[in-house]
Amino acid sequence: MSAINNLIVKIGRSVGGVVGTLYQAGRDAVDTTIRNVIPFMAFISFIIGLILTTGVGDWIAKGLKGSASTLPGLLLISVVCAIPLISPLLGPGAVIAQIVGTLLGVEIGKGNIPAQYSLPALFAINPQVGCDFIPVGLALGEAEPETVEVGVPAVLFSRLITGPLSVVIAYFASFGLYSK
Amino acid sequence: MNLQSLILLSADVTVEKQDGFLGVLATAAEDFIKVFNKGGEVLLSLMGGILPTLIVLLTAVNALVRLIGAEKIEGLGRAAARPGIQWYPVRYIVLPFVAVFMLTNPMAYTMGRFLPERFKPAFYDSAVSFVHPILGIFPHANPGELFVYVGIATGIQQLGYGLGDLAVRYLLVGLVVIFIRGIVTELITARMMKKGA
Repeated sequence: MSAINNLIVKIGRSVGGVVGTLYQAGRDAVDTTIRNVIPFMAFISFIIGLILTTGVGDWIAKGLKGSASTLPGLLLISVVCAIPLISPLLGPGAVIAQIVGTLLGVEIGKGNIPAQYSLPALFAINPQVGCDFIPVGLALGEAEPETVEVGVPAVLFSRLITGPLSVVIAYFASFGLYSK
Repeated sequence: MNLQSLILLSADVTVEKQDGFLGVLATAAEDFIKVFNKGGEVLLSLMGGILPTLIVLLTAVNALVRLIGAEKIEGLGRAAARPGIQWYPVRYIVLPFVAVFMLTNPMAYTMGRFLPERFKPAFYDSAVSFVHPILGIFPHANPGELFVYVGIATGIQQLGYGLGDLAVRYLLVGLVVIFIRGIVTELITARMMKKGA
């Protein structure tokens, strides 16, 4: 009798555990959505609304069209974003990358920038990723202060090489993407 | 401004255009509200388009990560710490991928604690560079910075293309880039450490 009892308790417990985990996962998902995703959507929607209804759009389109629809233009963007003095300023929250990404998205949607360039553009606007966060990120990895001292410039200088390189790789990887 | 007048402003106006000062004011008000009408349309399409999928996906992957248990990947961290050329792909492709997938941004960088000091900056560089390329397929890893990818993806969607191709290529090129980034940063770190010592 106690064996059956044990079995029932065991099953009940594991089922409860799984259901509890799923429920908590859902709670986390909704929490992140409300606190992180929707506010940014609201902000981005406002910017898109502004771009589409005012003349700002044409002005941005002219600026972006020249630079974002050629490989040298994208390389230029990536080099600027990777300059060690600028990259930590562009980093925080990836806000700049998200805004520029959205602007490019609008122009791609309007056909001003070829769809194929979406892939290299994703890398061109982002060589500064995490450049503001290097000391904290290294501290999370329990790095010694000496490592942080060397690590910050090492990552920043590395980006000057790997930033433009990533654009070139993405450019070659984008052949055949969305081409009719 | 009450709701009634907002509705009136946002409705399509069919009467003749007014002249004079009041007419200018009215046009200005219409242009003003047009910006937010358009913004609202965009917001609704975003919330109706990607948000439901995102919530369900976040729930599923969160549950998966919890059921597997984040502590299971510690063995991988120890394996990645080994010297030798065959461990480079583990350190700068497999470990960043698994860490970002399981621990998400910013906790993924804690996996650096299993590595010797000389690899830590390179691992951070590698892991942090992957928090965006993963978004196309696994947005749970970094939902707060979703628009780096979604911003451009929205444009592709408007053209009527599927996003699968872009998402997969972004992920794969991302893996190649973080591998190169890890190696380059490791070399630079080694040189700088030698100079300092």
